[in-house]
Amino acid sequence: MAETSKPGSDERLQPAAAVLAFVLPGLGHLHLGEKQRGICIMVGVLGLFFGGVFIGGVDVIDSKEDKWPFLAQAPVGPLAFAVDWLHQNKLKANDPPPGASADWFRDNKPNRTKSLSHVNEVGWLYASIAGMLNAICIIDAGWHAPRRRRKDDTPKVVGKMDVA
Amino acid sequence: MMLADLVINSTPDTVHAWRPFLDPITLTGGKWWFLLIPLAFGISMVYKAVRLHKMKRYWREVLMMTIQIIGTMILLAIGIYLFVELFVPWAEEFV
Repeated sequence: MAETSKPGSDERLQPAAAVLAFVLPGLGHLHLGEKQRGICIMVGVLGLFFGGVFIGGVDVIDSKEDKWPFLAQAPVGPLAFAVDWLHQNKLKANDPPPGASADWFRDNKPNRTKSLSHVNEVGWLYASIAGMLNAICIIDAGWHAPRRRRKDDTPKVVGKMDVA
Repeated sequence: MMLADLVINSTPDTVHAWRPFLDPITLTGGKWWFLLIPLAFGISMVYKAVRLHKMKRYWREVLMMTIQIIGTMILLAIGIYLFVELFVPWAEEFV
């Protein structure tokens, strides 16, 4: 299992990994053989995305009413578009026309509740951050440059060499 | 039709139980702040997965970053509170 990148050995464009990273978060790194990294990305991005939908309801993924947040959510991949399609076509709550009567509400029962205030804001924030983080992961998988070495990763010198 | 009639007539048909992922969660008061903790944890998980050279110290680094984000947010909140509550009233005297 190759969890680390060898400097200079694999610094090249990986279009297949980039496409796979867009199809499903973490799949690009799994394709490159970085199993643990890929799983952590998958759990993190999908956890944030579905965490946002859990908090704010399906209303937080809305390409028509919340166009700008959806632009940030879109890099999560086909999942974001699928949830948006489901929302637009199956679950959209229609706003009542001006002066709607009780009969209108009886005939047009909303099949979900619209989220408002903090739960809506935090919900779309979760999903938007998931999308932006996955954009970073797509770039990382697509241009598989060696990771910068941190000081902690370099082998520690245990003691001074005795020169006789 | 009066609003009261609207509520009375529509309640039995439209009120339903909470359905996860379709309806928003119910949060009252200032509890929504606690949602920032899992958000910070999720950000740390993805960022450290991309950033770290080796995955050996992954969870420790994730925990550290989560604490740093939450700590910074608390300090920012204290700073903004002091600015609004103390500095702005004090500065108003000179304007």
